[in-house]
Amino acid sequence: MAVLEKGSPRRESRSIVEWLNDERVRSVLYQAIVAIVVVVVARYLFINTSENLQARGMSSGFDFLAGSAGFSIAWTVLPYQAGDTYFHVYLVGIVNTLVVSLVAILFTTLLGFFVGIMRLSKNWLISKMASWYVEILRNTPLLLQILFWFLAVFSLLPSPRQSYGVLDMFFLNNRGFYMPAPVPGDGFDLTMITIVIAIVATYATAVWAKKRQMATGQRFPTFGVGLGIFFGLPALVFLATGAPLTFDFAALKGFNFVGGVSVPPAFCAILLALVIYHSAYMAEAVRAGILSVAHGQTEAAYSLGLRPGMTLRLVIIPQAMRAVVPPMISNWMNVVKNSSLAIAIGYPDLVAVFMQTSLNQSGHAIEIVAMVMLFYMSVSLSISMALNYYNKLVQLKER
Amino acid sequence: MAETMHEDTVFRPKPSLPPPPNTVGVVGWLRKNLFGGPFDSILTIVGGSLIAYFAYTLYLYGIANAVWSAGSYRECLDITRGNGACWAGVSVWMNNYFYGRYPDVEQWRVNLAGVILAVWLAPFWFPKVKAKIATGISAVLTYPFLAAAMLLGGEVGWFLQIMVGIALTAFAAVWLNVAASYAGYGSLRAALMRLSGFENKDERLQKYVLIGAFVVGFVLALLFQATWDLAPVPTVNWGGLFLTLVISGIAISSALPTGVILALGRRSKMPVIRVFCTAFIELFRSVPLITILFMAVTMMPLFLPVEVNLDKLVLVIIAVCIFAAAYMAEIVRGGLQAINKGQYEAAQAMGLNYWKMMTLIIMPQALKLMIPNIVGNFIGLLKDTTLVSIIGLYDILLMAKASGQDTKWLGMHTEPFLFTAAVFFVICFCMSKYSQHLERTIGGGYGRR
Repeated sequence: MAVLEKGSPRRESRSIVEWLNDERVRSVLYQAIVAIVVVVVARYLFINTSENLQARGMSSGFDFLAGSAGFSIAWTVLPYQAGDTYFHVYLVGIVNTLVVSLVAILFTTLLGFFVGIMRLSKNWLISKMASWYVEILRNTPLLLQILFWFLAVFSLLPSPRQSYGVLDMFFLNNRGFYMPAPVPGDGFDLTMITIVIAIVATYATAVWAKKRQMATGQRFPTFGVGLGIFFGLPALVFLATGAPLTFDFAALKGFNFVGGVSVPPAFCAILLALVIYHSAYMAEAVRAGILSVAHGQTEAAYSLGLRPGMTLRLVIIPQAMRAVVPPMISNWMNVVKNSSLAIAIGYPDLVAVFMQTSLNQSGHAIEIVAMVMLFYMSVSLSISMALNYYNKLVQLKER
Repeated sequence: MAETMHEDTVFRPKPSLPPPPNTVGVVGWLRKNLFGGPFDSILTIVGGSLIAYFAYTLYLYGIANAVWSAGSYRECLDITRGNGACWAGVSVWMNNYFYGRYPDVEQWRVNLAGVILAVWLAPFWFPKVKAKIATGISAVLTYPFLAAAMLLGGEVGWFLQIMVGIALTAFAAVWLNVAASYAGYGSLRAALMRLSGFENKDERLQKYVLIGAFVVGFVLALLFQATWDLAPVPTVNWGGLFLTLVISGIAISSALPTGVILALGRRSKMPVIRVFCTAFIELFRSVPLITILFMAVTMMPLFLPVEVNLDKLVLVIIAVCIFAAAYMAEIVRGGLQAINKGQYEAAQAMGLNYWKMMTLIIMPQALKLMIPNIVGNFIGLLKDTTLVSIIGLYDILLMAKASGQDTKWLGMHTEPFLFTAAVFFVICFCMSKYSQHLERTIGGGYGRR
């Protein structure tokens, strides 16, 4: 019997069945079938869509973006007024989404680390408290929490005249939250430039210190010196240029507050709900990460003579971060995505102003849905690229 | 003295001292877990008083100062002065939280449909009964049609009639199988063969017996179904927790099979299939569910032929299913990646083809490994189903919100939300505890190496 090798030239003698049983032939066949089905379905949908658009007398294309949007938006970061273009509405929505997400990400990370470490506490009561915090928040829907904060808390706040105030600087009432606004004076640019320089200098110090430690074994107080550079340098410049920064305080005038920076109650509600909900997930990531470092690592560090603080800082945390960072970053992604629930309480984020109001007004469903999805996809892709880069950086180099 | 060296002296240790009294018992536990040091003690006292304050406030609000019967929210406020809960409103609206606007006299249909599903799936927990996978598949494939016919009522089309017939037959088969197992026949098939006398006959003849039994059952089921006379209840009247469970139930049961297929596609060696699956997964995973829902209700009608007009509920269910499938695909892929390459190689060396390798060797291990993530995803889906309230379906959340906008109960927001939160908490918490139990029992040996 002849030994059949892969790809042996016996084409002419093969029957149809034999031919179909060839794995390579079948693979090509399957792919061709899938491709044809996809193309046929896509064509079918396209024909349906154009018929539908014709029947409803609607046009397609992105020309509508230059048209003016006749509605106003309750609260924007970018300047906006009714009558600006739809494209401007898109940008306004993106910035509103990003602002609430970034603030939420900052606080949720801090709170998440705090609760995660609480859960690992040796104190039974503290760890139980943290674990019930996590359980209750993770087992109720985010949208419910958002509506609860908005309708049952922030809408029931007192009117501006009876608002809660802290130090006569921060005020909370049913119109929103008021803070002093910084007003930069002449020469404040110098301080800003120094801050950038300080960041670069701190980073350079850290790199140099690490290099020196690797070469000589001598440690350098990077943290203290870095802190000194980071805060000292800008402060020095700030004072030298004559402290060119004043604050515009919010003050009650008539029935409402004027001045300062303010955010509406919907912003407070969505921010608080996002922070609290995601801090529970963040806490779980932190806890799992720290637990993932084998106890032998601690013992090995102790037997080398490291003190507990150093063990934590030099041995446990660097290894825990490898397990904490990926879920943490995907949590940040979820914060950005879940900020779209702001639509339920009227915070004008991208989905609310563009996918709802603009879509209802202009009727360009396909274009608008595509643009909104494009935004979220590009955020998601850039975050996952950053994550992949990080993973490659910290991957265990073994074998 | 016993210390002198004698030939026959045996070393007798003194009985060991009892542990110090402050390291055992309640005191020991307290010292170890609550008052380990000054800092620990402060933490305990601060935490304890926080909890006490919180619990006391909750008790005052929810029980001591609460009003249990009143005619309107005004009446409640007059009694409580804003210091207590108005559970009267919640109890008036309770029926709506669970059934939406489903007519009162027809609600037995919803209950019955729920009971049928529970009874259908009950054999999963009977250790003696075999064919568990067949039970699961029969429920997933046919129960939705039975439920649709029961819940929608009215005129039932021929397709739905046939499906209901199959569903009823399958349901009967599942429970006859249970009966046969406990009667000592082993399985329904064995019982049928024994009773009909075809026990030792040819495979072919046995198959005919099975088909015959199925046809008899099917005809009986059809005749039974023809006697139904249910009042029509359109989907706009569906609502409350019932609607939430319908949407999430369909999404959950469709997520696993579609997710497995997508995950296999993404890991396939065929580039065309891989590209399509990857694009599908990445597209729907990277956008928020609310955009997919908006897409479903605004864009999907444009994609369909002009004369087709799909129910909003159907569009929403399709959207949630797509979303669920994309997420499940990534979880299954994670499980597939965690399986040792040796398992694939061993399966191929045994001469198994691709599908046999996947269904017999790889998938059982991968899915067991991923039980916590899969159940976590189901919990997430159940919670995410509340998003349908944004596009105007009256699920439990929108019902809770609507009850605070009712003229009689205007302003009642805290109580319905607390109630809804409690409902979700109970369901989700039980699911997550059950998943931990499953992980210990069937996932054992795979979880930690």
